[in-house]
Amino acid sequence: MADQAAIDDNHIGRSSSHPLPRVALYVLMAVIGVLFSLFSVAYIGRMAYGDWRILPEPTLLWFNTGVIMLSSFAFSRATINAREGDIKRTREYLLLAGVLTFGFIIGQLFVWRELVSFGYFVSTNPSYAFFYLLTALHILHLFGGLIAWLNVTYKSFIPQKETSDFSLKVNLCAIYWHFLLIVWTLLFVMLLLT
Amino acid sequence: MSESIIPESELEEVELYHAKSWWTEKVFTQDAKLIAIQYGLTAFAIGFVALVLSWFMRIQIAFPELSIISEGTYYQFITMHGMIMVVYLLTALFLGAFGNYLIPLMVGARDMVFPYLNMVSYWTYLIAVLVLFVSFFTPGGPTGAGWTLYPPQAILGGTPGQESGIILMLVSLCIFIVGFTMGGLNYVITILQARTRGMTLMRMPLTVWGIFTATVLALFAFPALFVSAVMMLFDKILLTSFFMPALVEFGENLTYGGGSPILFQHLFWFFGHPEVYIVALPAFGIVSDLISVHARKNIFGFRMMVWAIVGIGALSFIVWAHHMYVSGMNPYFGFFFATTTLIIAVPTALKVYNWILTLWRGNINLTIPMLFCLGFIVTFLNGGLTGLFLGNVIVDVPLSDTYFVVAHFHMVMGIAPVLVILGAIYHWFPLITGRMLHEGMGRFHFWVTFVGSYLIYFPMHYLGFIGVPRRYYEMGQTEALYTSSAADLNVFITLAALAVGFAQLVFIYNVFWSAKKGIIAEKNPWKATSLEWQTPDQPPIHGNFGKELPVIFRWAYDYSVPGAKDDFIPQDVPNEKVKLAEGYSELGVEKT
Repeated sequence: MADQAAIDDNHIGRSSSHPLPRVALYVLMAVIGVLFSLFSVAYIGRMAYGDWRILPEPTLLWFNTGVIMLSSFAFSRATINAREGDIKRTREYLLLAGVLTFGFIIGQLFVWRELVSFGYFVSTNPSYAFFYLLTALHILHLFGGLIAWLNVTYKSFIPQKETSDFSLKVNLCAIYWHFLLIVWTLLFVMLLLT
Repeated sequence: MSESIIPESELEEVELYHAKSWWTEKVFTQDAKLIAIQYGLTAFAIGFVALVLSWFMRIQIAFPELSIISEGTYYQFITMHGMIMVVYLLTALFLGAFGNYLIPLMVGARDMVFPYLNMVSYWTYLIAVLVLFVSFFTPGGPTGAGWTLYPPQAILGGTPGQESGIILMLVSLCIFIVGFTMGGLNYVITILQARTRGMTLMRMPLTVWGIFTATVLALFAFPALFVSAVMMLFDKILLTSFFMPALVEFGENLTYGGGSPILFQHLFWFFGHPEVYIVALPAFGIVSDLISVHARKNIFGFRMMVWAIVGIGALSFIVWAHHMYVSGMNPYFGFFFATTTLIIAVPTALKVYNWILTLWRGNINLTIPMLFCLGFIVTFLNGGLTGLFLGNVIVDVPLSDTYFVVAHFHMVMGIAPVLVILGAIYHWFPLITGRMLHEGMGRFHFWVTFVGSYLIYFPMHYLGFIGVPRRYYEMGQTEALYTSSAADLNVFITLAALAVGFAQLVFIYNVFWSAKKGIIAEKNPWKATSLEWQTPDQPPIHGNFGKELPVIFRWAYDYSVPGAKDDFIPQDVPNEKVKLAEGYSELGVEKT
């Protein structure tokens, strides 16, 4: 017992060796994951009813998926360059990732426009309603990420101190973007299969 | 005895934020202690509004001939009373107020890990409260859909608040959830990553364990409410049919069709059941600590108490449909959920046994916090036992939607956790203000509240037994359904409720009076072991612990340790510094 006490006395006080912002992001991703899972459960449950109509998938959706994949890739490159200390390259990849993300969001809005022009309104049918709701929620979470992106991109333009956690911040943005890419992929597959 | 050699901390302390102006120090404060007080005052303010609503409801039930409020107003009041009390008062108080104040202090941190986010979370909560409050003053008034907001009726004509009340309620809930996600991140990450040296998870007090588990529950359960609120908003504003079946209203076919009201119920109660444990678990944790301190005895079975809290938290996600036995869902679902509901009673009962065993042969000081703890144990036991009736499908069928349910949930959610909150305020008031609450007013407050609450809710179970339905504006003259004895009982209950309400006014006066004129408290007046009482200043100042963070050498329950001169050993005192009693060579070892 005394040995355990001695071991406990030296406990550093942390449960994980990850830095604080990373732990926070993991918890946040778990919560957002639960949110999208619950929406998916509602979607699958609703599908069982007779009035479900299949929504046509505009080709633009595939293009948008490609764009968001590229933005994730840009973030990965930004992370690698930030870790190596090449701030100029990091800045370029960050800007590219941001532009591609905005491109994705605008692309999604164009998808909505296309669907509305064909008469697929949000209130016409539950299948359409879910499509608009799920894509809107995904875009909202991207906007949240863009706030962090703005902060980190701004930091890439000013000289960094030795002890700054710039490369951690870039890495965390990248992780969040990969997470939203996975969420989009799962949503897209779910919408395609139904 | 071996000396504990503590190596240099390998980690740098996170730099503490210092406010630069009056606005950022007192208003947009980032100090968790001040944020806690902001949460507490806001929660009590809106909770008082809900309390007053309940007075009107009770007068209407007892004296329907007065017609003090109309039918629509009655439904608006029950809805707002329920939603405010459960979400905006109890959740905000336990997590926002107690969580913010006690977590950093009890784990040995200078502040929460994300102070800016903490500040934003409070102001988001305040906005959510204001949006809800504003619905009282909009055309049509607040929603009268019941706190459970069941569609389709929640957004249809005939339910008060159809114009804007329901929209404001749903928007307010969405804002609240965003705010509490921010706050929840802070509490979880601070507990996991910002404890001081020597503070293992198993050396944390049960208060922290209760709030931690409740926060994890909140982070996973609130999204379900968010989902249902957003979908209902879509149904109301954009005329989608997530929850709305094909309907005819006043002879007109509505454009809705194919939606599932049961889907809403599943989503709502997937949130709703963990929500009641979000309220109960911090209460369990706090009451364990209060009993230990005021009975000068370590909590019985600490490890099992921790596992019971975690187990109850996990199980709370698989019992939700016991709120839906009469919804028309598949009876086999009912069987499954009744089983899980009975299983969750096991760790809960274990906790009750352990509280009793902590008191057994303890040096019980009948201080006001201890009185509230004893009151909690009795009322929670009572309420929990009636839960066993309601948790079984067949027994629930005649009792559902009667006053039996109302009595049950008020006992377990209304009286028991509120007694803990009150006891906790009496306990921690000296820490927060440096003064003691007035003893006479406190004892009056306790006895009227405890006895009065029993007089309100115990007889109410019998009203439920004889079938008096809930959510009825008035019962009418039918002797078969509503006997004159039931009417008399309702009058009695109302009078008890008004008396208990008066006692709360005495409490509020006590709090404000004692904050200015109360007896100055000595340092650590209750002689507690936990870290919040070991700060150099009382009340603790910004930064909490002075120049050096404490180092922890023991759990939070070293009361009446054999061999120690004092009947408590604070957590940050190493063995070699403990004063020994006469006749002992070391703790637990008598001199031969």
